Amino acid sequence: MTSVVRCQDLSKRFGGIVVADRINLELKGGEIVGLIGPNGAGKTSLFNLICGVVQPDEGHVYVGSRRVEKLPIYQHARLGLARTWQHVRLFNSLTVMDNLLIAPRDYLGESLLKLMFGLKRLSAANHEALDRAGALLERVGLAHKAAAHAFELSYGQQKLLGIARALMNDGDCLLLDEPMAGVEGRTYDTIKAVVRTEAERGKAICVIEHNVAFVRDICDHAVFMFNGSIMASGSVDALMADRRLTDLYFGAGRGR
Amino acid sequence: MEYVYTIVILSCVNVILASGFNLILGYGGLVSIAHPIFYAIGGYVSALVSMKLGVPPIFAVVIGTMAAAIASVGLSVPSLRISGDYLVIASIGFQLGLVHILNNLELTGQAGGLSNIPSIIELPGRTLVFSLIMIVVAGLCVLVIRKLVNGDFGRAIIAMRDDEEAFSALGRNPIKLKVVLFAVGSGMAGFAGSLYAHFFLYLTPDDFGIFTSAALLTMVVVGGAATTWGPVAGAVLLTVLPEAIKFLDLPVSIMAPLQGVIFTLLVIFFLYARPQGLLGGRRRGGGLEVWSSRGAYRSPDGGET
Amino acid sequence: MTLDLIGQLAWTGFATATYYSLFAMAFALVLKVNRVWDFAQAGTMVFAYFALYVAYTELGWSVVPGLLLGLVVTVAVALMLERFGFDVFRRRNSSILTFFIFTIVFSQFAIYLAELIFGTEPKTLTPTLISPVFMVGKIVVSHWDLKAIAVTGILALALYVFMRHTREGERLVAVADNPDLAEAYGISRKRAYAVSMALSAVLLLAGIYLFGTKAALFPSTPLNRLLVYAVIATILAGIGNVFAAGIAAVLLSLMQAFSILVIGSKWQALLAYILIFVAIIFFPRGVVLPERLSRLRRPAGPPSPDDDEGAAGEGIPAAGPGKR
Repeated sequence: MTSVVRCQDLSKRFGGIVVADRINLELKGGEIVGLIGPNGAGKTSLFNLICGVVQPDEGHVYVGSRRVEKLPIYQHARLGLARTWQHVRLFNSLTVMDNLLIAPRDYLGESLLKLMFGLKRLSAANHEALDRAGALLERVGLAHKAAAHAFELSYGQQKLLGIARALMNDGDCLLLDEPMAGVEGRTYDTIKAVVRTEAERGKAICVIEHNVAFVRDICDHAVFMFNGSIMASGSVDALMADRRLTDLYFGAGRGR
Repeated sequence: MEYVYTIVILSCVNVILASGFNLILGYGGLVSIAHPIFYAIGGYVSALVSMKLGVPPIFAVVIGTMAAAIASVGLSVPSLRISGDYLVIASIGFQLGLVHILNNLELTGQAGGLSNIPSIIELPGRTLVFSLIMIVVAGLCVLVIRKLVNGDFGRAIIAMRDDEEAFSALGRNPIKLKVVLFAVGSGMAGFAGSLYAHFFLYLTPDDFGIFTSAALLTMVVVGGAATTWGPVAGAVLLTVLPEAIKFLDLPVSIMAPLQGVIFTLLVIFFLYARPQGLLGGRRRGGGLEVWSSRGAYRSPDGGET
Repeated sequence: MTLDLIGQLAWTGFATATYYSLFAMAFALVLKVNRVWDFAQAGTMVFAYFALYVAYTELGWSVVPGLLLGLVVTVAVALMLERFGFDVFRRRNSSILTFFIFTIVFSQFAIYLAELIFGTEPKTLTPTLISPVFMVGKIVVSHWDLKAIAVTGILALALYVFMRHTREGERLVAVADNPDLAEAYGISRKRAYAVSMALSAVLLLAGIYLFGTKAALFPSTPLNRLLVYAVIATILAGIGNVFAAGIAAVLLSLMQAFSILVIGSKWQALLAYILIFVAIIFFPRGVVLPERLSRLRRPAGPPSPDDDEGAAGEGIPAAGPGKR
């Protein structure tokens, strides 16, 4: 299994608060890693550091063999890093379909010159995107909502759309920030199936989750974070059996 | 009638200016007070190129337009590297600085400006003919913008507006998009300036100062930002209105500041009472508030994860 | 070029730095606490100036009553801007575009109103702008110079003491650092905003009084010249550093004074505009020591070049004009 994303000694602080303290983490193709820990542990911050939303004070992020931590956000995505957000963050003014059509890594519509002079190439790319988007909507069960605006969807549907949008990136890495929060029933099963399938296809997947059952069910191994540091990593059962960790998660130490 | 045709020409010039400015402000979300400067660059470059180098006016117009678009990159790229907010500040410096240069440089005729600019059209009844040409040209500009903001490019603009960070995380480059919008809008201003120069044959720095900046802002905010026809309505209204005031026969020293007061009060009024402008709103969308933090994502207080 | 010339330029530059410094501190203060790029301060300067102008030249009042009128007018304008302007737009979650347009247009409005009422020609606050001089060595020192330095020094010191050593001042700093957290501790955000606007009004009035007793003013001068240096100084000092902005303004003023040696006077005004670009391109985060930067946090609204919004999902409250 190849190393898709590697974090090396990542550190970041905001004012007096340490959100990342020499984090070392490797995401390999085909593996699903669970990122767990109490609120404020730095899990979303780690995603932000990997994706370029925030730049580390020290340390590096590698995508394949490329060092990316200083690159702008959009270049991380173009290298195949896709993510979902805790608060979904769909484009509410656009339709469901448009939310997907804007998401392929190479969006020709962005370039004015190509718009003016590359009409044929543009139209071929559009067709391809349309096909892929249609297929994804089928997979997540939203095909019937393609023309609806994103804000019209139910919460569960929005989460599915968020994941579908990330899949349009068609890259090697998928970062999911609490995909199961507030989700149940059919949506839960769909998301679980999608994550499994993507891992089988060789994607490196990292999931931030509080839903322990999901983590136990789906993740190959888990990483426990607290106060910006990785405290332990291993099988989910082993971590959950560790008294020290469950204390941190549920009780005494709760962030700062 | 000559007078009416002239008003038509001025309205069309303003329609082009306002539409270009709307592309930058309403669709790009960039507050720049330097739009009049690109209007000026187009006019002065076009005039000078035809006066000093003998380029026929019709080609000079093209050169003027491109000069404005290219100059805009000099403003947008350094400031957008940091943030859109810095563009506002940089635009203040750009506007005031370039006006100062125009007023003091011998090449541009200093405060007296340029006169005897070669005319783009020499016919009996040139005013009528040019007014018809301008109506067509202005209409084309509006349609070009309309085409741009629908379709693939428009999808990107709207997504960027809804949530720029999520937009970036998909692999889109918001800075590039803004630079392009800025260049197209500014190029259009330059286009308007070149046409103005080669018809009225006379340019002074006074036409390109803060007053014009206020007027353009009024046209877009009152007409309706981020709509296709809002700037058109605003431009026509704000070309015709001052002419109506002129009939009150007030002394010149009162006229200009009075117009300024009216324009600025209009903007402030609309900001409070009707930010969507005359033509924006629920059904048609648009208006300044498409850029409000309600539409976009804002992270919550306190930690969640 | 003699030492005397350099000394004279340095002294003059330092003396004129006083009003620039006051304007810079006013601008930086409102940016820090209210988190607004308050371009309306140019308009506030216009109101301040013409209140003084009316008092002195039309009503014939003496210095102190005139200043009192100026104070009342300026503070009123500033408080109204906050209460009926910024606060309204904050509550509506208005876009930052609205804030920018509102502040800039307000200043333009003030200028046109002044031109309408008082005419466009330059004005002075006193019949003569020449104050008595005496020599210190070979350097000419005027009474105005000393008055200006004294006024600025006292106000800067007062502001410093206020912000560091009074409860009210500490509240201001708390709201500046983290409005939500401050409110959780029972500190009123609105009050802090009002206090900071009032303080800025005092600084603006003092600055415009000093300027007006030294040079002639067009109604458009505050926007074209005075505000520009305040903005540059604020950027160079790094957002959040009020006194550093004051010092940066002094350096800018000295730079302007010495520039006469290199460029003709008609191009001197260009210096400020060029400096804006220099500041933005080379020093967008300020010319500041790295440790101080980490204290600057980016609100959801107006800017600090440090964009920490990404951290907000992890227990660090996001803040800004859009937040209640």
